[in-house]
Amino acid sequence: MHEHKHDDHLPVVAEDDAGNLEGQQITTALQALLVRKGLLAAGEITLEIQNIESPGTHLGAKIIARAWTDDAYRQRLLANGKNGAAELGIKVGEAQLEVVPNTPDIHNLVVCTLCSCYPRSILGQPPSWYISKAYRARAVREPAAILEEFGLVLPKGKKIRIHDSNADLRYLVLPERPFGTEDLDEQELMALVTRDSMIGVAIVASWQKK
Amino acid sequence: MQVLDLNIKGHIRTPSYIRGKSGTVIQFCGFFLNPEDLSVGITGGPVYPLYRVSFAMEHLWSNYDRSENDELCIEVYDHWLDTSNT
Amino acid sequence: MRGYHDIGGDEAGPIQKEELPWLYWEKQVEAIRNLLGDATRRLVSLDEMRHGFESFGVEKYSRYSFYRRRLAALIDTLELKGVLTQEELDTEVTRVKANWTAEEAGTGVDKHDHG
Repeated sequence: MHEHKHDDHLPVVAEDDAGNLEGQQITTALQALLVRKGLLAAGEITLEIQNIESPGTHLGAKIIARAWTDDAYRQRLLANGKNGAAELGIKVGEAQLEVVPNTPDIHNLVVCTLCSCYPRSILGQPPSWYISKAYRARAVREPAAILEEFGLVLPKGKKIRIHDSNADLRYLVLPERPFGTEDLDEQELMALVTRDSMIGVAIVASWQKK
Repeated sequence: MQVLDLNIKGHIRTPSYIRGKSGTVIQFCGFFLNPEDLSVGITGGPVYPLYRVSFAMEHLWSNYDRSENDELCIEVYDHWLDTSNT
Repeated sequence: MRGYHDIGGDEAGPIQKEELPWLYWEKQVEAIRNLLGDATRRLVSLDEMRHGFESFGVEKYSRYSFYRRRLAALIDTLELKGVLTQEELDTEVTRVKANWTAEEAGTGVDKHDHG
């Protein structure tokens, strides 16, 4: 049993310089110890860091742009996100991927209240606000207020569907394709897709020909 | 279907805010090892069915004021669901 | 029983949208966990690590940053499994600190974010 005040949640807890230095020193020590014990090979860490750095918004944008331009692909993607990603050469490391489509009637938002579950093998590292206690606590309770903080005000008639990514599925929001993009090719469409639109705190804004 | 409020200690993936609440099963996700077991090194099973369950936000939060149509979807392992009133 | 990490629905302040950089040591922590949890080693699963930071106490959970929590949970789990002891890690940390210079020369580690 424990007592803790629920309003103690600081927006973001970050280490100060001393904390980061200590974090680095402990990690250096841990790695050295594990290498000496034969549990890690010296070069593996560098390679694995490259692996975790390489996914990013560009991979998600590729999926979204293809779904926008190819209805049959979109159907396959919604039926099985992992297979849909694989079709584009994107290997999803998590158990399952659920692609949740925004429609004129529904806006999706993703959170992990218990920790920080996120489609890392596609989008890479989640932003610090996503893993913050403020987002984790509030997104499931007052999603509209959260969206407003991100500058997104939904029409009153639009339903919000929040996904708490608490177990084995990972979620990717498929934003609505913006108006005025009928003549854009897939590469140009990819450039419009933002990370925040695939989490659900933003939409992809309408595009105007200059 | 109602989410049970089980008295299980340890690594639980059923958050408090849905316990005792009623929702609708919207998807069967498959069979998965139980995080409660995995968290203490029990990796041999059994596997449990996992479902996505949808809850009306107005039923989760007493003062939810946006829309009766807003919903929350979350994954719940079978042993956390009360199947007696399907 | 509600874990201190089980915070869905709690009140909290505004979202801090300014994004923090992902530092080298933080990437290292993730990489180490991924490798130790791989199919050949199976030493620390994500479930075990999460159980670790859900068990190490509300004080650390409140005070530590996200990656610092994971580092602590990783170490706790390795200690629990007899892979290492806190004493030998402390000895190693002391050694690392003693050899740490302003330029980190000689430690073989570049602590700067690799971008």
